[in-house]
Amino acid sequence: MELYWQQLPQQLVNGLTLGGVYALIAIGYTMVYGILGMLNFAHGEVYMIGGFTGWWVLHLLTRNNEILMNAALVIALMLIIAMGVSGLVGIMAERLAYRPLRNAPRMNLLLSALGVSIFLQNLILTYQGAKVRTFHIASLIPESFRVFHIGSTVFSFMRTLVIAVTFLLMALLTILIKKTKVGKAMRATAQDIEAAAFMGVDVDRIVVLVFLIGSALGGAAGTLVGLLFTQVDYYVGFQAGLKGFTAAVLGGIGSIYGAMLGGILLGLTESLAVTFLPAAYKDVVAFVILITVLIVRPWGLVGERIPEKV
Amino acid sequence: MKKTIHVSLFLAAVVCLSGLAHSAPVSKGIHVGNAGAFTGDAAAPCNEIFNSAQIAVDEWNARGGIQGVKIEHVMGDDAMDPAQGVNVAHKFVADDLMYGVVGPPMSHIAQATLKIYGSADLVTITTAASKPELTEQGYKHFFRVNARNDAHGWNSALFIKNYLKAKRVAVLNEKVAYCENMSKETLAGLEKLGITDIMQETIVGGAKDYSPVLTKVKAFKPDVLFFIATTAPDQAIGVRQAKELGIDAVFFGTEGARDKKDFIEASEGAAQGAYVYHFAPDIYSIPEAADYVRKYENQYGVLSGFGPPAYEAMNILLSAIDKAAQDGDISRKEVLQYVSQTHGYQGILGFPITFDPKGDLAGGATYFFQVEGQDFKPITVMTGQ
Repeated sequence: MELYWQQLPQQLVNGLTLGGVYALIAIGYTMVYGILGMLNFAHGEVYMIGGFTGWWVLHLLTRNNEILMNAALVIALMLIIAMGVSGLVGIMAERLAYRPLRNAPRMNLLLSALGVSIFLQNLILTYQGAKVRTFHIASLIPESFRVFHIGSTVFSFMRTLVIAVTFLLMALLTILIKKTKVGKAMRATAQDIEAAAFMGVDVDRIVVLVFLIGSALGGAAGTLVGLLFTQVDYYVGFQAGLKGFTAAVLGGIGSIYGAMLGGILLGLTESLAVTFLPAAYKDVVAFVILITVLIVRPWGLVGERIPEKV
Repeated sequence: MKKTIHVSLFLAAVVCLSGLAHSAPVSKGIHVGNAGAFTGDAAAPCNEIFNSAQIAVDEWNARGGIQGVKIEHVMGDDAMDPAQGVNVAHKFVADDLMYGVVGPPMSHIAQATLKIYGSADLVTITTAASKPELTEQGYKHFFRVNARNDAHGWNSALFIKNYLKAKRVAVLNEKVAYCENMSKETLAGLEKLGITDIMQETIVGGAKDYSPVLTKVKAFKPDVLFFIATTAPDQAIGVRQAKELGIDAVFFGTEGARDKKDFIEASEGAAQGAYVYHFAPDIYSIPEAADYVRKYENQYGVLSGFGPPAYEAMNILLSAIDKAAQDGDISRKEVLQYVSQTHGYQGILGFPITFDPKGDLAGGATYFFQVEGQDFKPITVMTGQ
C-alpha cells in the first residue's frame, strides 16, 4: 500500500498537467456546441495545427541548437503565433464549411465538420509528411533549471509552465465571459440565438468570435503539449480530439466550466487509474466514469438541464 | 483398372526421375541461386544481398572454383510477390545443376515456396526471413543465418542478467503483436534465469505521455527498465520522461531505438548510457569482416546491413557443395546433408554459426549497443548461452 501512497503526489501532478490540456481542448468543443449545437470534429486537427505552428516557430528561432533570443520570449511567441494560426483556421472552417450550412439539418453540419477534419489532417500530411517532429527544448531551459523537487515529487519546469498557462488562459476566458459586454452577448447567443439576434446582437460576429477563441485555446494546447512531451505529428489531433470531446461531455457539453472541470477530472482519473490498476485499464476507467456520469446525469456534471426547445 | 495402372506407372516414373535427376558430375557445371525481390520497393536491400553473395562467389571462382569448375550465380526475381516467388522456385528446382539457393529474404515468400524447394531437397539459406513458424513445419532444406524473432527475448534476458547484473526488472511493452511477444519471451527468460522481482506493464504506442506508468515504475525501483516500443520517437519520449522523473534504472530499448536522429538526438541527452538491442551487427567493428566490407564498398557503394549475412550464407552453401563434390559428382541430398552439419562456422558475423536440427541459427544472435555521444557503441552479442 505504501507503494501506492508514495506515487500519489507525483500522479496528481501528472494528472493535473494532462487534465489542464484536456480542459483547454474541451473548451473549444463546448463553446461551439453551446452556440450552434454542433460537434466540431475538426477541433482535434486545429489542436494539431497549433502544435505544428509552435514547432515551426521554435525551429525558425533556433540555430545550431541555440535559440536566437530570450527563452521566455520564444515560448511567448510560440504560444501567440500558434493561437493566432489555429484561431484563423477555426474562423476559416466556420466561414467556408459551417456557415453555409447553418440552417441545414444538424447531420449535414456534423458531416461537414468530419470533412474539414479529414481535409486538415491530409493537408498537414501532404506538406509536413508523416514523420514525427521533435521540439528541441534543451536550449529553452538551462539544465539546472529543468526539474525541481518538493519532497519526493518531481516538478519539471515545463509541467509547471503548462499548469500555469492553462489556468491563466481559463481565468482570462472566465473574466471575458462574466465581465465584458462581448461575454454577455456570447451568453445571450448561447441561450437563444434567434432572441439574441432580435435584441440587436450581431450573431454572426459572436459565432466567429467563439470559433476564434475556442480554436486559439486548442492551438495553445497543441503548443503546450509539444513543449511538454516534445513531439508532434499529423495524427496527434485524433486522440487529443477524442479526449477533449470526452472531457466536454463529462463536464456537460455547452458549459465552459463543465469543460474545465471535465478535462481536469479526466486527466486525474487516467493517471490515478494507472497507479492502482494495470496501465492497460487507463482508458477503460476513464470511459466507465463517463458512461456512469451519463447514466446518472445525462446533462453532465455541471451542464444545465435544459428542456427540449419546441 | 487400366486407369489405375496408368496412374501408378506415371507416379513410378516421377519418383524415379526425381530420385535420379539431381545427381550429376561436377564437370557439367555448378549453379547456385539467389531468390529475392530485386525489383520493387525492397530492391535496395535485396540487391545488397545479391551483390554480397556475388562477392563470395567471385572469391571462390578466383581460387579456382570447386574442383576446377567455375560457379554460376543465378538471380531469381520475385518482386516481393509470392506468386512470382513460386515461379522462381519452380525454375530453380527444374535446373539440374542448381545445388542450393540463398534466400528468399522475406517471410511470406519463404512460406509460399517452402514446399517446392522442400520436395526437391534443394537447400535454401535465408538471410532475413525471421518468422518463427518457417522452421516449425518439419522441412529439412530450410536454413537461416539470421535469428528468429523469438530468439531476441531470451538473448535480452541473458543480457539483463549477465551483462547488466540486474536483480529487479521493469518491463514495459506496447500492445502490438511483436512487442507483446518480445515481452513474453523476455519475461519467461528472466524467470528461467532466477530473476523474480519483475514488474510488467503495458503502454500505448504514439501516446506521447508515459509519465503515469513511469511514475509507477519509479516506485518499483528497478535496476533495469526494458522499454519495448516499436518506434524510435516513442522510445525517445520514454527515456526522456524516465530521466525527468528521476528514474535511475538502466534504460534498455529495442531495435526500433537504434536510430541516431529519432532516438539519440530527439531525447536531447536523456539517452546517454542507454542500451538497445538489434538483430544486425555493426559490421565495421568486426575485424574478420574488413576485407568483405572493403570489397563491397569499392564495387557497390554504401552497405546497410543486409549484405553481411548473405556473404556468410553463400560461403556456407559453397563450402557444403565443395564437400559434396569431393567424390566427383554432386547431388542435392549430399549438399543438404553437409549444410545441416554446419557447426561452429567462423565467418564475418562475429560469432560461430551452427544450425540446429530445425535449420535455425543455434541460439540466434542478438547484438547489444550503448549510446555514447551521438552514436551507438557495440557492446556484446548474445547467442543463447
